[in-house]
This record gives sequence, structure tokens and C-alpha cells, in this order.
Amino acid sequence: MTVRTIELREPVMARNNEIAASVRARLAAAGVPALNFVSSPGSGKTRLLERTLAALGDELRIAVVTGDVQTQNDADRLARHTTRLVQAVVTGGACHLDAKQVETALEAIDLAATDLLFVENVGNLVCPASWDLGEDAKVVLFSVTEGEDKPLKYPKMFRQARYAVLTKTDLLPHVPFDVELAVANARQINPELRFFHTSAHKGEGLDEWFDFLRQLARRPVPA
Amino acid sequence: MHEMSVAVEVCRLAEERLTPAELPQLVTVGLDVGDDAGLEPNSLLFCLEALLAAPPFRGARPAVNRCSGDVLRVTYLELDDDRPDD
Repeated sequence: MTVRTIELREPVMARNNEIAASVRARLAAAGVPALNFVSSPGSGKTRLLERTLAALGDELRIAVVTGDVQTQNDADRLARHTTRLVQAVVTGGACHLDAKQVETALEAIDLAATDLLFVENVGNLVCPASWDLGEDAKVVLFSVTEGEDKPLKYPKMFRQARYAVLTKTDLLPHVPFDVELAVANARQINPELRFFHTSAHKGEGLDEWFDFLRQLARRPVPA
Repeated sequence: MHEMSVAVEVCRLAEERLTPAELPQLVTVGLDVGDDAGLEPNSLLFCLEALLAAPPFRGARPAVNRCSGDVLRVTYLELDDDRPDD
């Protein structure tokens, strides 16, 4: 028998990354900054986006792509707060969005009439870290009902994120959550992380978040 | 958690690189999997073994090399043409 070895050294994610690069180039050409929202399930991604669309929807033209394993519930919730199309991606079991799904979703979005793109990923702090979607930045959310050690447990996601949103701060009087420790843990993983402390329920911290988005919509984020 | 997605992508790469006649000759798929690649190697092996047991493959063996960083790549494909030595 003849055994033959073909050397490859081919990144497994090469195809996804090619599509992500093409998505990024399209968004950059259209001047549309894109944020990829990642968190564990139940951290409040949809709630934050609901409040954001309700507050900024008249001011900024925000397109939304939202992914869920099953149901279009999140898309339906978000659609109540915007007149624009909310693209639902039902992954049918997959634990993350991939670049191809975002590329397909962009076909129905008029980028020339868009100031900002939000991609709400599947709730999962592990897998979405491995799939580049062509976003400018990842926004990682975690809530005060989760442990302060979340960044230490899921370092890849916190390393990749440029922004972190601590959510549900209105519950701080009721839960044993040390904000300083949580922030220190996150900065230990990623010293550059910019933090927002928010309660989408009560509105605390949202003005700073909205101002950040207004500025972002005026200038594309550096790659 | 997403090991099956990665395993499917590994098989797609192999199918892209090999001719239809070569696919059943595939005996080993070499992979580098970094400690920070976000994958559980045993789970990846399990998924790959399942996929590589079905046509167009014929039971190729995945060989995982653990390394540091977030590397995730197919390093080599080993083929056996099943012909007796000359």
C-alpha cells in the first residue's frame, strides 16, 4: 500500500472568516457600524435592545438581526419597538450565529438607509466566541444575578469583547453581587473593556449607553 | 457545544481538498486544537469519528494534536490507496 500525506495547515474557520470579512467590508463601505451582542441566556440582551430601539428608533436607523435556537420570540419582541424589519434567524439547534447567516440576513437590509446594525447572538458564552460575524465589536452582557466570576469562567468571550454591559443593576440591593469584583475580574481578562452599568427595567445607566451608540453611529468603529 | 459544527467544517475541507476518488482513501485527518479554541477535544473526536465513518468517507481516523492558543486547523490529510506495494 502507498500512504500519502497532504500537508494543509488550513484554519477550520477559514470559510466562515472569509464570509465575515466580506460582511465587514460591505458594512464598512456603507458606513454602518455593527455590534454583536453576546451573553448567557437570560442576561437581558433582548430587553436592552428593546429599550434601545424604543429610545433611539426615531433618531437612528437601526437594523436588527436576532438569532435564537428556536422561536422568533425575540424578533417579535423587538419588532414592537421599531418600524424597521427585524431579521430573525432560527438556528434550529445550532448554538451560535455564523457569518453566512448574517450575510443572508443583510440581503433584506437597506444598508444605505441604516445607521447601526445590531446582531443579537444566541444566548451562549462559549460558542459565539468562535464565529466572527463581520461585526466591528462584540458587546458582552452579564447580569448581577450571575456570578462575579463569569469573565474568569468564559475568558475567550470577554477577551474578544470590546464593550461589557452589566445588566439588571436594579436588583443589586437584593443579590450578593460585588460589582467591583466583577469589573476587576473582567479587566483581568481584558484591560481594555469599556463598561456600562445598566438597568433596562428602571432605566439606570441607559443615557450613557444611548450616548455611546449615538457617537458610534456617527463614526465607524476601528476594526 | 459546537463541536459537531466544527466537525462538519473539517469534513467539508477534506471534501474540498480531495477528489471524489481520494475521499474513500482518507485514513487520517490531522488537527491542531488549541487550549483556548473553545472546543472539548474528546467531543470533537466523537463527532469526527461519526462523520468520517459515513460515505463518502470510509472510517478515517481523526488525530488531534493539542497545542496552546486558540489555534484550530486541519494540518494534514493522510491517504492510503490500498494497492499492494510494488
